[in-house]
Amino acid sequence: MAHIHCTDIVKSYGAHPVISGLNLDIPNHEFVVFLGPSGCGKSTMLRMIAGLEEVTGGRIEIGGTDVTDLPPGERGVAMVFQSYALYPHMSVADNITFGLRRQGVSKADIAPRLKQVAEVLGLENFLDRRPKNLSGGQQQRVAMARAMIKTPKVFLFDEPLSNLDAKLREKLRTEIRRMHLKLKTTTIFVTHDQLEAMTIADRIVLMRDGMIEQMGTPDEIFERPASRFVADFIGTPAMNFITAQLEPGLIAHSGSIRLQLSEVEFPSLKPGQEVELGLRPARMDLCEPGSANALTGEVVLVENMGAEGQVITEVDGAEISFVTQGFRDLSIGDTVHFTIRPEHIHVFDPKTGRSLRKD
Amino acid sequence: MGKLISTTLTRALLALLIIVALGPILWTVLGAFKELRDIVTPVPKLIFEPTLDNFATILRNPTIRDGLMHSVIVVSASVLIGAVLGIPAAHTLARHARRWGDDVQFFVLSLRFMPPVAIAIPFIVIYLDLGIYDTLFGLILVYLITTISTVIWLAVPAFERVPHDIEEAAAMEGCGPAEVFWRFSLPLAAPSLFGALVFTFVLVWNELLLALTLAAQNATLPVVAASITSLGKEVPWGVINAATVLLVLPPLVFIGLLMGLLNTMVRSGPK
Amino acid sequence: MTRKRFVILSLVPAIGLLATLALVSIAGAVWFALMNRTLRSPDYDFVGAYNFLRLLRDHRFFNALEISAIWELVTVTGTLVVAVLLAVLIYETVKKPLWRNLICFAFLVPVLLPRVAAAFIWRFLYSPSLGAINYLLGLVGIGPVEFLADPSLALISVAIVDIWQWGLFFTVILLKLMETLPKDPVEAAKLDNARTWEIHAYITLPMLKGPLISLALVKAVESLRSFDLIFVMTGGGPGTATETLDLYAYQMGINMGGRISYASAMSILLLIVTTVVFTIIWKAGKKWAN
Repeated sequence: MAHIHCTDIVKSYGAHPVISGLNLDIPNHEFVVFLGPSGCGKSTMLRMIAGLEEVTGGRIEIGGTDVTDLPPGERGVAMVFQSYALYPHMSVADNITFGLRRQGVSKADIAPRLKQVAEVLGLENFLDRRPKNLSGGQQQRVAMARAMIKTPKVFLFDEPLSNLDAKLREKLRTEIRRMHLKLKTTTIFVTHDQLEAMTIADRIVLMRDGMIEQMGTPDEIFERPASRFVADFIGTPAMNFITAQLEPGLIAHSGSIRLQLSEVEFPSLKPGQEVELGLRPARMDLCEPGSANALTGEVVLVENMGAEGQVITEVDGAEISFVTQGFRDLSIGDTVHFTIRPEHIHVFDPKTGRSLRKD
Repeated sequence: MGKLISTTLTRALLALLIIVALGPILWTVLGAFKELRDIVTPVPKLIFEPTLDNFATILRNPTIRDGLMHSVIVVSASVLIGAVLGIPAAHTLARHARRWGDDVQFFVLSLRFMPPVAIAIPFIVIYLDLGIYDTLFGLILVYLITTISTVIWLAVPAFERVPHDIEEAAAMEGCGPAEVFWRFSLPLAAPSLFGALVFTFVLVWNELLLALTLAAQNATLPVVAASITSLGKEVPWGVINAATVLLVLPPLVFIGLLMGLLNTMVRSGPK
Repeated sequence: MTRKRFVILSLVPAIGLLATLALVSIAGAVWFALMNRTLRSPDYDFVGAYNFLRLLRDHRFFNALEISAIWELVTVTGTLVVAVLLAVLIYETVKKPLWRNLICFAFLVPVLLPRVAAAFIWRFLYSPSLGAINYLLGLVGIGPVEFLADPSLALISVAIVDIWQWGLFFTVILLKLMETLPKDPVEAAKLDNARTWEIHAYITLPMLKGPLISLALVKAVESLRSFDLIFVMTGGGPGTATETLDLYAYQMGINMGGRISYASAMSILLLIVTTVVFTIIWKAGKKWAN
């Protein structure tokens, strides 16, 4: 079946390396999201798997076949582009069936397959139209239909939702996820939107500068970030970072802040060591003064997010924010106390940025 | 009141500009339907008895008829060959050439820097030596420099405007480069390409120097028209006007297409 | 078909043919320039740099060089000035798309005319005895003016025809470019109480710097191809008042005695100068526009 196997992938444009020695395994049936900031190599990686870019070095296997030197059409993959890339001079039906007609599949075989994908995607009434007469969401569906009808071994999505407005994006995201649950085709989905990645992925491959920074389920990525970069990239509002000194008893100390760390998670930490703490705003909440792991700050700004609010405070001259439902009682200048449980504190090596959590 | 005067003034100015743009041509068209005695008047005549004599004269004149035929053959052959060779080359330059593509494009462009006389002078001797002086084949050959380079120059941006994704989507469905070019790039770029061909056509149709140098009996219409002045003793202004109209007609037919080309070029951002 | 084969098959015929023709003409010109070949006799000898040395003592050559330089300068600046002024005028005064389109169509007509036709049309208009311009001048008591026979007027009279063709054409291009500019900066300037001319001088035109440079270059290249216009209107005369380099080379090489080698030497010099100058300007312009 269609697992994907990338070995020592190298890609460079001239002397400029984009990806240098990347290894990746994607099991059959998995929905994997390539996530990362722009320029991290995630699209290049996808395009190399598709066959649209040549690899400078390394091998790519799809379903046990080495496809490294095969043209895109012979790899058994189908791709949905960010711009949809519909053929403007063909009708919707012709767009969807072009690949099959090209392969010489008979009309009698094509018709039922067209009917089926059109039904699944709700395109029955648009088959005779030209793409330019469709809305963005409909065009997106045509692009998906065009990929689906070929029953490929692998689906590739290159930021397919980024040209749509927020509401439609959410809707199509759910549809894509639902379709994957039904078809179970191995899927790679590229995005720079961490929320999209979290909601849709079986596994996330978080990339940075052509390297895999961390690979794991959305929960692993969120709760156990492997590095400061991952911790910073995932989650809104963004994580707070504090440089602190370790004291005996696994207490991290910085100015007025003293935080108890989890011995189970960080058995290797030594007193006197300098560390970087990561505190997720969403994992903190208001508390009574003098509670365990309490921080005390002065309210600088309160941002209403509806059910909750982000409170930005000043602690020892630096800004720390946290999220609370009780934000409506706070006003600028108030002194607030808030706390975080030891198991929610992330600790990073300040030099390498790697997490100091035990494996 | 001041506003009224200024709008009236600008309207008058704009009207004057349109007269400056079109007046000379309309005057020539008018002249083409005049008899010589209506042209050679101290006061220009706007009202006169129109005549088709001038057109009859030029169409009956074998030199002009031949010139017209030569023009049609030379121009259509050189534009056609220019398109067949230039359009695929332009697609490759726009899509498959990363590093050396710019250099090739600059070479093609630099051919436009070449003064025509620098082509004409050596070619006249070479043609004489090869025995293809004063042949339509020879003319078509030199015009290929103009047509191929102009087609490439204008078609490269036309192909660059074809969305990359669409070609890649076609490649994903198994189309090779030739099939992508033929079934996708070409139809999608067709409107711009058509404009490019028209522009090339106008350039070659209007060309005088090379035709004047490299042909004698087999010259094209501009050469024939340029030599009308010496038909007979009196300057045959009416005939000249009629010949001018004949020369002007084909390019003007395409004015709408060129306007369309201009619009797409401008909208996609000029280089 | 593989990518490589497609690239070769599509590129080689076109570029190969172009390169061959260009090479043949340049190599031919260099070869003939070192000989004493004429059109009259097929015999010739090697004369080395003789033709080039003679050029340095040829007053008519330097006159042609000067005329060419003046021609370039006048037509390029004239075209751009006319285009900028008219484009701004139309942009500001004509707001209805229909009228704008009609004006654009009218302005496109002159450049489409074959140079030969334009030359005839204006020779007719300029004619001292029956031309419409002299008639109009006569109404206000001037003339008749010998536009094409007066050495001090001939060059500028021909240049006006060139500017008539290209200035109006560039007006259309500039106008279309101005229509594609983002509206925000102009509106911001209006909120700052900028005058109309200030908006164009400081905002719209600087935003079009790149295209304006390209247009100037295109016109400079195109002005080199004005042989047709000058040839039909004045034939280089009166005297040598409108004799540009290509006209002189043509007269030398083809009309008068067919001194091919001498004309080749001239076209080689012309070729070197234009290629070097335009390559430098093109690369510099590209850098500057970015």
